Amino acid sequence: MATNQQSDPDELTDRQQAAVETLLFSLADDEFVLAERYTEWQVRAPTLESDLALSNIAQDELGHARLWYDLLTEFDYTESELLFERDPADFTHAALVELPFADGDWADAIVRSYLYDTAEQLRLAALEDAAYTPIADRIGKIRSEEAYHREHAENWLERLCADPDGRANVQAATDRLFPHALALFEPVDAEHEATIREFGLRSESLADLRERWLSITVPLLDSLGVRPPVSADGSPPELPVAYGRGGEHTEQWPVLHAELTRTYRELDRTNTRTITNDPDHAR
Amino acid sequence: MIWEVFRQEQAGEYHTHCGNVHAPDREMALLFAQIQHARRKPTNSLWVVPQSEVSAVDADTDGVEFGGTTDKSYRWVSAYNVDVEFAEEIETSDREQRKAEGER
Amino acid sequence: MVVHRKHPIVMNVEEVTERAEPRAFSPHDDMPEEYRKAATRMIQFHANSEIMGAYLERPFIRQAPSLDRKLAFSAKVQDEIGHGQLLYRAAESLGIKTRAEMLDELAAGEGKFLNCFHYPMTEWWETPMIAFFVDGAAMRRQATIKRTSWEPYAHAMDKICFEEGFHIKHGEDIMRELAMGSRREQQLLQEAFEEWWPRILQFFGPTDDRSTHHDFSARVGLKTMSNDELRQAFLNAYLPKAEKYGLEIPDEPRIRKEDGRYIVAEDDLDWEEFWEVASNEYDGSHEQIGSRAATQEAVAWVRNAIDRSEQSQP
Repeated sequence: MATNQQSDPDELTDRQQAAVETLLFSLADDEFVLAERYTEWQVRAPTLESDLALSNIAQDELGHARLWYDLLTEFDYTESELLFERDPADFTHAALVELPFADGDWADAIVRSYLYDTAEQLRLAALEDAAYTPIADRIGKIRSEEAYHREHAENWLERLCADPDGRANVQAATDRLFPHALALFEPVDAEHEATIREFGLRSESLADLRERWLSITVPLLDSLGVRPPVSADGSPPELPVAYGRGGEHTEQWPVLHAELTRTYRELDRTNTRTITNDPDHAR
Repeated sequence: MIWEVFRQEQAGEYHTHCGNVHAPDREMALLFAQIQHARRKPTNSLWVVPQSEVSAVDADTDGVEFGGTTDKSYRWVSAYNVDVEFAEEIETSDREQRKAEGER
Repeated sequence: MVVHRKHPIVMNVEEVTERAEPRAFSPHDDMPEEYRKAATRMIQFHANSEIMGAYLERPFIRQAPSLDRKLAFSAKVQDEIGHGQLLYRAAESLGIKTRAEMLDELAAGEGKFLNCFHYPMTEWWETPMIAFFVDGAAMRRQATIKRTSWEPYAHAMDKICFEEGFHIKHGEDIMRELAMGSRREQQLLQEAFEEWWPRILQFFGPTDDRSTHHDFSARVGLKTMSNDELRQAFLNAYLPKAEKYGLEIPDEPRIRKEDGRYIVAEDDLDWEEFWEVASNEYDGSHEQIGSRAATQEAVAWVRNAIDRSEQSQP
């Protein structure tokens, strides 16, 4: 348990607040953009039942994004500023979650979910005692939903890999997505990352989380007859040039951002309609 | 062998689980179920299913939270503040959802 | 579900007519082929409409102008697919077609679905036309189908009607936001209403004397209200709603009220287009069905892979 716990946003030092914001933006943006891509499967999934399941996962992830964005509103951001009026270049999600799906590439959706949700599980566990307590308070609800996501992805991986065509598609998706998934363990910025650790927001370093992620994903993929793109000594591949986070995004991201802000812009909206409850007062 | 028994009280209603019986096979299960589970309770139809064919996921033993743990009020009528009295079927749905949401 | 029966009950059409009442028949009854075919046609149409309606609405998950609106649209589209799942199962239980066959027919352009879902919907301010008016019309009809004679169809309707209240309220909430928004938002809403209103009036199909399948379906209890009765019920509830939000009802088609009944001048509606739509020959039909076919085909490999794994199960 961190000793310098803080629950009041106004009591944070400037440096601490900047680190908290950086962390929250990366968590929220990852979940939001991943979900945005998942919703492309709605009405397009392989079967009606799988459609319902992935739709639900998308809604879960949007709900998680909402919890993190909501904490940013405590630093006087509005939803409009956070989502609809923010420069797409300022989003800090990993490019893994912004990549478009090729038509019918269900293996991509499943591999992406597996790689992401495994990282998410580790990342959330390391935030459970975050020194800024509003973060720690929201972890439980999110982790409970993430368990279904991992089970869903792992079960699909097994089913797809039991079939030669399916395994080939999983292999292709793994080759493409694995280097991108490594960006989940990249800092947005070295200085804020140092504060995230010193202040006690995240209990583990990104490098340690990455090692643990590799020790889970590589053997699992191996066991299914899929070769992850790691070298013989187990070292992971290079990051792609445009990997997101603090670096560059792919050219697909501004296109996606323009689509999702289209109505807001066309109607000259300046604010957003809220339907759900304030998370601090929800049951 | 154990067979799970589902009873429907009247035509058009749902078959709901009401208990089980020991029986060596399907035919005997139907015979036993009629006596054990339908001799007094009003019954229109019975189904029997081998217990081993039933799979379960359970809130208590599996720690599953059905319907999720984060706020999903956007899927419920109670999140929308517009009147429902103009159409009886919307009012019914509204009432049923509020009841279900309240019991969750 | 295949239920192993000791003594299946055999029935002819006369007996079916005699015994027809709400939820009277289930897979346990050996229904005559005329009944099974008529019920399959009706439920398959309904199921197809759920899927194609979801197609129309899916772009607005992405384009929704707030995070909660996005969540609501995603949840709604998810529900519609869920309704399709329930309805295809109810249709399958008649033993005429499998779900895979019905979905293939839909992709091949042979499956029929609601007229309104053949038209493109491209703008946010059009969404209440489907999410409030068309869904409201559908809800009027669905509530009466709770009393259909095919029990699995009625059971599907219990769950669908339960869920649908959120859809209508969500649709009305969007409409209210636009109606109370800027002058421009109000104008765009009015324009969308004018474009969609004739299609919405055609939702219940032609007046009864021109309906082809009504007689038999009514006789065997599949349907419990005529198209005209349903349209009356719809106008009674929804026309005042349109007015409440400041929408002007277009001059055409002419609608007058006589003895508490709405009389729609049917000649003002384009029935030629309606029949073109109904036979999947409209431009929009080709567009919608083509996109469905392409996405179905793109994930065929997944269905094949899981079919093979299902077959290798003990």
